Amino acid sequence: MADAQIAAIPATLDRAKKRRDLRTLSVFVAIALLLVVVGPYVLPTFLVNNLIRAFLYACVALTVDILWGYTGILTFGQSAFFGIGVYAAGLVFTHLGFSTGYAALALAAGLIVAVLVAAIVGWLAFYHGASPLYGSVITLVLPIVVTQILYSGGNFTGSSSGLSGFESFDLSLEAWFRIAGVYLIALTAGAWLFVRSDAGKILVAIRENEQRCEYLGINVSRIKILLLVVCAAIAALAGYAFAGVQMVVAPEYAGFVFGTELLIWVALGGRGTLIGPVIGTLVLDVSTSYLSGNLPFVWKLIIGAAFVVVIVALPQGLMPLITRAVDALRGRGRTADSDSIAPILQPALEQPFSGLAEAGSHALELHGVRKQFGSLKVLDGIDFTAQRRELLSLVGPNGAGKTTLMRCIADGSERSEGTVRVNDHDIERLPPYSCVAFGVGRKFQTANVFDTLTVAEALRVARTRLASPSLWQQSEVLALPQASLQVIRATGLDQQLGKQARYLSHGLKQALELAMVLALEPSVLLLDEPTAGLTKPERTRIGQILVELARDHQLCILLVEHDLDFVREISSRVIVLHLGKIVLDGSVSEVVESELVRTIYSGGNHTFAGNA
Amino acid sequence: MATILDIITTAGILYAVAAGLLIVFGVMKIINFAHGGFLTVGGYSALLVTKLGLNPWWAVAFSFVIGSLCGMIIERLVVRPLYSRPLDAILATWGLGIILGQLITLAFGRGVQFVQSPVTGAIDLLGASYSEYRLLLVLVAIAIAVGLGLILNATRLGLVTRAVIMNEDLARGLGINSGLVRFATFSLGAGLASLAGALITPLSSVDPNMGVPWLVNAFMLVMVSGMSLVSLGIACLVLGGAQVLVSSWGNPILGGLTIVVLAALVLRLRPQGFARG
Repeated sequence: MADAQIAAIPATLDRAKKRRDLRTLSVFVAIALLLVVVGPYVLPTFLVNNLIRAFLYACVALTVDILWGYTGILTFGQSAFFGIGVYAAGLVFTHLGFSTGYAALALAAGLIVAVLVAAIVGWLAFYHGASPLYGSVITLVLPIVVTQILYSGGNFTGSSSGLSGFESFDLSLEAWFRIAGVYLIALTAGAWLFVRSDAGKILVAIRENEQRCEYLGINVSRIKILLLVVCAAIAALAGYAFAGVQMVVAPEYAGFVFGTELLIWVALGGRGTLIGPVIGTLVLDVSTSYLSGNLPFVWKLIIGAAFVVVIVALPQGLMPLITRAVDALRGRGRTADSDSIAPILQPALEQPFSGLAEAGSHALELHGVRKQFGSLKVLDGIDFTAQRRELLSLVGPNGAGKTTLMRCIADGSERSEGTVRVNDHDIERLPPYSCVAFGVGRKFQTANVFDTLTVAEALRVARTRLASPSLWQQSEVLALPQASLQVIRATGLDQQLGKQARYLSHGLKQALELAMVLALEPSVLLLDEPTAGLTKPERTRIGQILVELARDHQLCILLVEHDLDFVREISSRVIVLHLGKIVLDGSVSEVVESELVRTIYSGGNHTFAGNA
Repeated sequence: MATILDIITTAGILYAVAAGLLIVFGVMKIINFAHGGFLTVGGYSALLVTKLGLNPWWAVAFSFVIGSLCGMIIERLVVRPLYSRPLDAILATWGLGIILGQLITLAFGRGVQFVQSPVTGAIDLLGASYSEYRLLLVLVAIAIAVGLGLILNATRLGLVTRAVIMNEDLARGLGINSGLVRFATFSLGAGLASLAGALITPLSSVDPNMGVPWLVNAFMLVMVSGMSLVSLGIACLVLGGAQVLVSSWGNPILGGLTIVVLAALVLRLRPQGFARG
């Protein structure tokens, strides 16, 4: 087992690194806690007061960073959830009075309302097929709606002047400083663990390539909604504490302008770094309260200008500059993917034919499938069935409808008419992730991977549906089905598990995507030119693997290929598509010897006659 | 009758305000959040004209020129590097809006000021007396729509622009200077925004944040319109009409929300909005 030994050495290093990371985190948390405890003794009251506010703002900025920096959801709306928390406290304490019971009631009300609103907003913003711009539109509408509702609340909400003068918690400023500080530290540490965990990588996967996630069986909309709900609750809690300490509430705290201010802090600090947005918020908010008195308009002008410059010239914010400077001072280089470990590969317990697939009499069954764009018919009445163990090649000239046909099988909303059944399940109008659950695995024509995830991380994201990832740690082993392992080993990807996908060659990207699709343990495999860009030996190896998959693993493989030699070598059956119709369906020899195929490929009788 | 005129004039005003945003979005696929800032620039251009004691009509030309100049500078310095990052472009242009607002505050103070209207008085129309200026704005909106339509469909620049809208890479491959098209578009969009800002100020007042509420409504209208001048007209009539009805029969605060909420729902149920899909 030389293999295992070689793998074991980096794994030990990785484990040491992981321990070191955890130790660094503990040290930072300890220092931060110490500062928070000591702070009120040494800092002037004005600063303590400002820092309490900045701590709570930073909690909200963290949620913005998770949503925008990590997941790619540009949100203007986190201020609305903060405002909901603020007003929950303000309204209850003003109208009902203050007691422990009412404080708990206000907290519960704030959280429940925030969660409900987040769920509604999530449903609106993150449906299957929604554009990222639309999601941002909705998060922009939310604070506007919330503030207008507050304005129209008359004496109940205090309208534009808000509410003040209510009784609140009998706590000293020092106590509030520590409460807010500990909340921020706990959130930052929790978020740090989460984004580095296996589950956290799914957020980055969504940011990098949402479509690939859906075709890996991940319900992206659901994850985004869940994430928004959690972030809403965090922001609402911060707002509740804010109202508790400031004893004043105003519509501005729920507003669109505050929402954009959060984005500015996160962008300047450094999106996708967690600590950057926290520091950015603390520094900018505190310095604003000092400087805006002296230079009221100039200060805001400077912030605006800095924001524009950072977005244009330094999209990653100021944090990466600082970490790079620190690393340079300490005299060590930073590797591109320093926060992840390369796990040990392991065969998974496979169960491709339990459950759904077992019941199927046909692996794939298409009936009367049509697809048209306006008056243009791309597919015109496609009927065929395919069984397990078949390696079915789809050939035909460009524009014959091959890729469209693949799309219609893997996404229920694609076809205009007809039925598609996978393992006897009608895919109806279901989205891609549901089709994956029926057993479909689709590889795209051009390599479709996650640029900033490492090979190992991408493979683990592909396993999400079958092996739920940890929310707080990185697993040291990566269990993959045999077929996926074969592709990884045959192409040498196992030597590059810690490399980010964007640094892979084109051929290796193709191989990685194939390995990711195979990690889904599909029973119907859709491959759109899987070997384009691979070298001859790699193609041969992949061809063998495909044949073995069909034969030994009983997969039904549907392959689009232009290389007829490759098709001839591995296919058990060939379907010829021409102008959206099946013109021939038979064995390899029938198709290869067919006059019709030559005519189609050579573009008409005359040319063919001329050649002959 | 007054309600119908309100609906038509509101739609006209919204159209004038949103047109600049639409052409920038249509050609460049970029949401220009500095649009609100350009509206404010236009408002203050009109204020300058009033302060200089010139004929208020000068505000029209003056605001358009100043807005276009701002647009030219901003396109070169800020928007150009962000073509491939549309979400970042939203943020950067929002930052630009802040900068414009603060510069204006520094120059003119943060107070609310008033601008002289070029046309005052009311006109009797079908038995109702109605503000002449509001009616005039409808004509202006129609002129903008027709003008943009002519530029796009009857000039060489328009042909080139349409090529860029449909397939920028191909257009570039054919030797079209798409950078120039973008430059011209952004400047025109900024000029139109500024012009609209000058036109709406006689109806209310100018202050450094006057652009923000208009920006949000214009943005939502453009979102539901796709990229068509015609569907923008329909969207302005339908959603602007709804706003007038809700404001007059419900309450004005809800009226202010009508456009954003309806537009969000329309997009959820019909992602292509008012555009033909």
